[in-house]
Amino acid sequence: MKLLIVEDQTKTGQYLCQGLSEAGFATELASDGNTGQHLALTGDYDLLILDVMLPGRDGWQILQAVRAAGLEIPVLFLTARDAVEDRVHGLELGADDYLVKPFAFSELLARVRSLLRRGSSPAQETTLGLADLRLDLIRRRVERAGQRIDLTAKEFALLELLLRRQGEVLPKSLIASQVWDMNFDSDTNVIEVAIRRLRLKIDDAHDNKLIHTVRGMGYVLEERGA
Amino acid sequence: MRRLSLGSRLALLFAACTAVVSLTAGILFSRASATHFIELDQQLLNSRLSLLRQMLEGVDSPASLAPRLPALQTELSHQADLAVRIGGRDGRIWFDSQAGLPDSPQVVGLSTLHASGVDYRSLCVNLNDGDAQLTLFLDITHHQHFLQRMQQLIWLTVGLSALATALLGAWAARSGLRPLRQMGEVASGVSARSLTTRLPEGQMPVELAELAQTVNAMLERLDDAFQRLSAFSADIAHELRTPLSNLLTHTQVTLTRPRSLDEYREALHSNLEELQWMAQLVNDMLYLAKADHGLLMPSRQQLALEDEADALLEYYAPLAEDAEVKLSREGQAPLAGDRHMLRRALSNLLDNALRFTPAGGEIRVTIEQREGLVRLQVANRGEPIDPALLPKLFDRFYRADPARREGSSEHAGLGLAITRSIVQAHGGSIRGESAGGWTRFVIDLPTV
Repeated sequence: MKLLIVEDQTKTGQYLCQGLSEAGFATELASDGNTGQHLALTGDYDLLILDVMLPGRDGWQILQAVRAAGLEIPVLFLTARDAVEDRVHGLELGADDYLVKPFAFSELLARVRSLLRRGSSPAQETTLGLADLRLDLIRRRVERAGQRIDLTAKEFALLELLLRRQGEVLPKSLIASQVWDMNFDSDTNVIEVAIRRLRLKIDDAHDNKLIHTVRGMGYVLEERGA
Repeated sequence: MRRLSLGSRLALLFAACTAVVSLTAGILFSRASATHFIELDQQLLNSRLSLLRQMLEGVDSPASLAPRLPALQTELSHQADLAVRIGGRDGRIWFDSQAGLPDSPQVVGLSTLHASGVDYRSLCVNLNDGDAQLTLFLDITHHQHFLQRMQQLIWLTVGLSALATALLGAWAARSGLRPLRQMGEVASGVSARSLTTRLPEGQMPVELAELAQTVNAMLERLDDAFQRLSAFSADIAHELRTPLSNLLTHTQVTLTRPRSLDEYREALHSNLEELQWMAQLVNDMLYLAKADHGLLMPSRQQLALEDEADALLEYYAPLAEDAEVKLSREGQAPLAGDRHMLRRALSNLLDNALRFTPAGGEIRVTIEQREGLVRLQVANRGEPIDPALLPKLFDRFYRADPARREGSSEHAGLGLAITRSIVQAHGGSIRGESAGGWTRFVIDLPTV
């Protein structure tokens, strides 16, 4: 997966590059609008991350040029401005997502992965699983090591999300939005409590812990070995 | 072009009015005098005419006139200002009592004539069945002089009175407009540092009192907004100071000597927490700033308020269970509103209620449909709150206990302010109540 980042703030650009590279993406960085547009039109990218305010030409102009060239690459906007008109403008021009600075890197990563996944047709899985954990989507049943586990509807939804995106660090805001449809940043520890309860049912009786807290970032479901 | 001052404008208008009035009066008076003189002249001429008719009885030719001339002349010598001309119907002059008389008017009746510097009033009549014509000339030069003098006087009066009223008007306007100037002076003295100045409404004339009131109200609002802005900026700086100093200290201390990897990791994590707290603060403040600028534009979806409340209660259920707090919802109502914004507003209230409800307590969400509005209440059992403090709960950065801000899960004190902004963006109102061991937040949302 190859990403192009167009960001004129040197530090921001470098950190984004580093973070995304370490998350397993090939990244290229352009620090002004003209270079950015040239690369976006000539390189073969899977995703564009554009800052709105750029020297040369702004992010919207690049987006327009990209869409005018008939490229359907997903485009994620980063901006320090959060005016409704901006958001609407960006979406009208064909932006796929929008993040307002300051944002958490884990949030960006989760959005990038969502956008990249969007292109591929979702697999019609009936079961999800990791290690000895099994989740049956049709019968809505969960088993760990052959033992049936009773989960509430929300716990089931939470576990399904973690399983579908196993290995990814999911920020709290994303979990709140996906599982409970709460699309605002709240700094309550609701998610912490919900995860703790899920852990109690899934992990506590087993040595091989699957749900992990990535401090300050979010939660991840993965097998790390005992 | 320089615009005329209000004072000069008024003075000029006064002057013009006076000029018009005195001119009209003068013209009327002069007309009346002229008419009066004509009447006097006519009377005089008529009285002479009857006498002359007698004397000229039967005259129909120069020959028949001649014998009567001596008597006529004797009679005329008593009347210095009267002259007589007798002539034929054909216009020939048979006799002039004086040299230099003007040409006859040829028409029967009264006319005013002028010849060799003298003004005459003439009366022309036919004598003896029209065979002869008698014209009387009355010297009216002195009358005309009088009228001319009067005209001059009128113009003089007009000019002088206009000038006088212009000057007096200027003075009157100046003193009459003094409150306006005062207003200007006060207004020019207003700056960011002296928004407390007010116009003396009581001393203002009626016409300006309203304007003064408006200006005062504007100053009041400006002052209020400015105060809040200053307080807000100070609050922001203050709120950011603690996490910033934590970050600085912690980072510097960490860097003073080599440490284990775990220690570095721990330091970064701790910094991350502070940074996340700051990011949340900045985002919340931007949200509020947007609300202040009227940029919070709620969409209007048809919502069932009870569903939204239930979704939130479900969201908070694990937390409430942990805290041993019972959550419940009563009532239902449809409402057109912005789902995300209303959820956020309600979430802040529930979050707040959970914070202040002791273990074993209860939080009740009540939805009521009323005339033209939907009332949503979030009530929790808890310590009574001083009624004076209730409105302050919605102020930015207000915390019941000023010393409290520990741990990143603590709100910056913007939650209720955000809730209020959202409610207001929906055209509603929110208030806090505290009675009978319950703390209650009451939101009224209009249904239209």
